[in-house]
Amino acid sequence: MPEAAFLEVIGLTKVYRGGWGLHDVNLTLPRGTIAALGGPNGSGKSTFLRCVAGLARSEGDVRLDGELLGRTPGPRAAIGYLPQSVAMPEASTIGEVLDFFAALRGADRRDLPLPDGFVRADEDRIGELSGGQRHRVALAVALLGHPKLLLLDEPVANLDEEGRTAFWRMLRKLRDDEGVTSVVSSPSPSELRGVADRAIHLDDGRLHRVEDLTESADVTDIAPHPDTNADLEACS
Amino acid sequence: MRAATAPSPTRVIASWEYRNAVRARWVLTMAAVFGLLCVAVTLLAFRTVRELGLTGIGPASATLVNLGVLLPSLMGLLLGAGSLAGSREQGMLAMICAQPLRRSQVATGAFLGLTGSLWTTLGIGFGCAMLIMAGVARGSDVPALVTLIGATLGVAATSVAVGVAISALVGSRVQAISFAVGLWIVLSLGVDLALAALAPSIHLGPAGLLGAILLNPLEAGRILALLGTNFQGTALGPFGAYLIATFGKVGTVALLVGDLAAWTAAPLLVARWALPRRDL
Repeated sequence: MPEAAFLEVIGLTKVYRGGWGLHDVNLTLPRGTIAALGGPNGSGKSTFLRCVAGLARSEGDVRLDGELLGRTPGPRAAIGYLPQSVAMPEASTIGEVLDFFAALRGADRRDLPLPDGFVRADEDRIGELSGGQRHRVALAVALLGHPKLLLLDEPVANLDEEGRTAFWRMLRKLRDDEGVTSVVSSPSPSELRGVADRAIHLDDGRLHRVEDLTESADVTDIAPHPDTNADLEACS
Repeated sequence: MRAATAPSPTRVIASWEYRNAVRARWVLTMAAVFGLLCVAVTLLAFRTVRELGLTGIGPASATLVNLGVLLPSLMGLLLGAGSLAGSREQGMLAMICAQPLRRSQVATGAFLGLTGSLWTTLGIGFGCAMLIMAGVARGSDVPALVTLIGATLGVAATSVAVGVAISALVGSRVQAISFAVGLWIVLSLGVDLALAALAPSIHLGPAGLLGAILLNPLEAGRILALLGTNFQGTALGPFGAYLIATFGKVGTVALLVGDLAAWTAAPLLVARWALPRRDL
């Protein structure tokens, strides 16, 4: 019996002036999945995440737990989004940044599923942090309010080994304990081996293949399959 | 799900923008420059007043008018223009707009926060000038000061709104700042220069004069500020004199206040319309 769809992407298409950003992408993910979003530079990984998050205009539908993600803000409370790069105001403290986003979400910012010490002290200013430490703050923002869907654009790019380990452990825990679904982009999806349940491979804005990693552990084995818009349900 | 008692996103963003703006180094510098200029022109005006054997603050407040129109309008345009465009380039706007809110609330929050920060800056500058004026001010000077400050705050809010609209419409922060500076030059100098150059060859009728005033919020603000200080004087200029002759004092004040309000509301509506239509 197929698992119930949690994230449904139907005919997602994004056209830029220079060509396709995404071309008729169809995808279904069940609740509690960690999906590795792979593909070469410019393949549409960030565009896919931004379209699903409602940050870029696109054609097609995105449904979350059956509810259409449109212009209304309500359903977005279930989404935590991390852009590939973000520069927060340097004069702000970590506490102020977390307070700000927690207030926007109506969330309790002390209720973060991160290990102690993952983010530095509240009173530290953003301008005093290294790139990796700033990235940790942005990750904490994406996790505010217990989102049910995490859209993370290269979340570990700036993290050290310890930070990566802590982050992957946290992602698995969220999946196992709370049924959180995550779509995690990475230029090297093999890094997600042992973490991700599914691998989604994009190339030139097209969904080439979706692989069930619970059966095949090597994400890099994904081979391009032109003109195929795979449905994850078919793989599971 | 947002808690029932959670503050509105507009208010949260306004507080955030306010705090970041008043911390920005260039805003603090501009505030200091504005305060020093206010003090300087006030002292210079009083020296002239004493040398002429006059009393009151009229000349001082009259000299503050141009300062109160030109510098705050530039600051407002720059603040507004750098807001959404800068935030978009930094990735902050995407993170903010990924939250459960409407993008129109982001535009309104940015406007409110930046206007609040600019008003704080102006309040400090005018406060310094008022301290100096307090020793010589008469009761009859109060309306002039209130008019001056009100007009300045109005021009500041208008400038921020126009800047935020530019910021929502253009592609990059550099473009937004360039547009804002260009617009400020046109509104503060260009219109007057163009009219002076064209005056011999064109005849501006009543509709042309009215249009020239209403289409330039800086001119509207300047006339409004001058109404309190030199109602009967020549400082009002041809545009001001035309308005007074046509609409009377109360009518002119109402018209100019309405003009500034429209110049604030319309760009804000443009920003609220444009931001949701942008890719982040």
